[in-house]
Amino acid sequence: MPRVLLLLPTTTYRTEAFVCAASRLGVDVTVASEQPNTLAQLNPAGLLTLNFKDPQKAAQRVVEFSTSHRIDAVVSVDSQVVVMGAAISAALGLRHNSVKSAIAAQDKHRMRQRFKQTGVPSPQFTLCSLDEDRTTLAGRVGFPCIVKPLSLAASQGVIRADNQGQFIRAVDRLEAILKREHGTSTASDTSGDRREQSQVRPSASSRQFLVEQFVGGSEVALEGMLTRGELHMLALFDKPDPLDGPFFEETIYVTPSRLVAEMQEEIAQCAAQAARALGLTEGPIHAELRLAKDGPSVIEVNARSIGGLCSRVLRFGTGMSLEELIIRHALEEGVELPERQSQAAGVMMIPVPRAGRLIEIRGLDEAKAVSGVEDVTISAHLGQSLVPLPEGSRYLGFIFARADSPEAVEAALRESHAQLEFVTEPFVDREDGRTPQSVKSTEAV
Amino acid sequence: MSQTEISITGEPISDTTCRFTVDRPVYPDKSFAFLSKEAAKDSPLAQRLFEIDGITRVLISHDQITINKSAQADWPVIGKSIGAAIRAHLATDDPAVSDAAWENVPSSDEIRDHVQQVLDTDINPSVAEHGGVIRLIDVKENQVFIQMGGGCQGCGQADVTLKFGIENAIRAAVTGVGDILDVTDHASGRNPYYTPSTK
Repeated sequence: MPRVLLLLPTTTYRTEAFVCAASRLGVDVTVASEQPNTLAQLNPAGLLTLNFKDPQKAAQRVVEFSTSHRIDAVVSVDSQVVVMGAAISAALGLRHNSVKSAIAAQDKHRMRQRFKQTGVPSPQFTLCSLDEDRTTLAGRVGFPCIVKPLSLAASQGVIRADNQGQFIRAVDRLEAILKREHGTSTASDTSGDRREQSQVRPSASSRQFLVEQFVGGSEVALEGMLTRGELHMLALFDKPDPLDGPFFEETIYVTPSRLVAEMQEEIAQCAAQAARALGLTEGPIHAELRLAKDGPSVIEVNARSIGGLCSRVLRFGTGMSLEELIIRHALEEGVELPERQSQAAGVMMIPVPRAGRLIEIRGLDEAKAVSGVEDVTISAHLGQSLVPLPEGSRYLGFIFARADSPEAVEAALRESHAQLEFVTEPFVDREDGRTPQSVKSTEAV
Repeated sequence: MSQTEISITGEPISDTTCRFTVDRPVYPDKSFAFLSKEAAKDSPLAQRLFEIDGITRVLISHDQITINKSAQADWPVIGKSIGAAIRAHLATDDPAVSDAAWENVPSSDEIRDHVQQVLDTDINPSVAEHGGVIRLIDVKENQVFIQMGGGCQGCGQADVTLKFGIENAIRAAVTGVGDILDVTDHASGRNPYYTPSTK
């Protein structure tokens, strides 16, 4: 039976989906994480610990491992293991993206450079350092602009600035975020974070950041699969909530897109051009594009599938999950890619409304009962410290809906979200005797 | 029952594994894995399937039949024979899995005792390192129901621990175990060891 190596960071949202997919496919699996599983000694063929900070050492370890358990495919389930997946595959001689292309897809500055060199429509950019004088910097960037870290995900640390004052405050804020991410945790985000120490960031990103031109217009997300450099679009999601800043909170994704067919084709061609520019050739991609006045503009292309629990809305062929498709594609060159099931579907990433400790969730049954809603999954746990954007990197949960039309899906997601109420209390000990804060979820969107 | 009305969809998973989905239950709400031709001798459907050259394993589960074969034959070729065998079986009143096949499966009480022993000696001392605990809730026929508590409840790695740690250890130590089902309310976990994030 073929064996797939799943590179699975301990903090990924994607564990259940990939483990379930591998189980359904009946393939042999080895799960590699950056922290040892407590039961690793009971299943040395199935549970492996790798140094996520050093892709080459990890590759060497897997080559040794593969002498006793042959690895037929490597799947990187999340952004932080994309480069390592490429390095391991190269060492094993498996079909995969090159290490160079994986690095380019992981580093937002390299990505922008490749896009510029190859004429991929994308925002203008400037690489800046936190060590530069911020007033001077403000003088050489145009407004409105976006201040953006090189390697964080899900809009963490991404801030819009429309003038010099906002720009300086945005850079100050980003510096604090990067300090926390690369150093020690702050008092406000220590709950349940045993894994902060294990996070991997390229060292080059620690003092550098991007300033990008703000591109107006609506945004879409494309889910695709590359085979020998050819892009097959699996799904195109509309993002009906405007993403104009100052922070860029992802909320609703709905597929199929309501855009006209010509525009969808233009988006697919643009994403394919961007993937080629990065040198990506194999496996899933997740691309984000802005629809500017003069056409699509590529915000980024990731060499991984859609994040969070969002993939649950995608079903292919007779009901295959996206993760099954990814594993099958990794195992077998030229595997047929079934079409997405045609019914409209969508997901809402429930945003964190404000900082605080989550103490109660109200309205969950009512949110689940909304017509068209398939499920509401709360991924935050009671007692968890909630940190909103731009500092935070977690969602409260996800709402999933399916209906006859994209409009009905979007309406179901909004109605379901409106039923939810999250009760929080401040992080700091209070002496004023105030009661915890109750936040209707709709206030946040 | 007209054989031509039966719709069967084959989904090749790899060169050696293919899942066939039938438009009706073949073995309603139950599953059984035949790991050899010898094990299938009293079960007509599995017997028919093992008659096809190259078949090495047959898993019958409700309306799905997952087949493993040696790498030589192509699925499009062998798939037609598999479809014909399934249709031929459905044209009879024979059970998909015979009672005799179940005779080698230990009783629920035996399974319960052995699983509890594995939890006590191999699993719980280890998961306790992360403040976790695994409880045996019930055994029905050969299905095992477990619950994850403490640091395992709501943990982002609970599925890995279940599938690759707990399941693996139980199956290695206890013969005849069917599905191992996690009945934990993970959403209510107050102190999961790993909490998912987008980083």
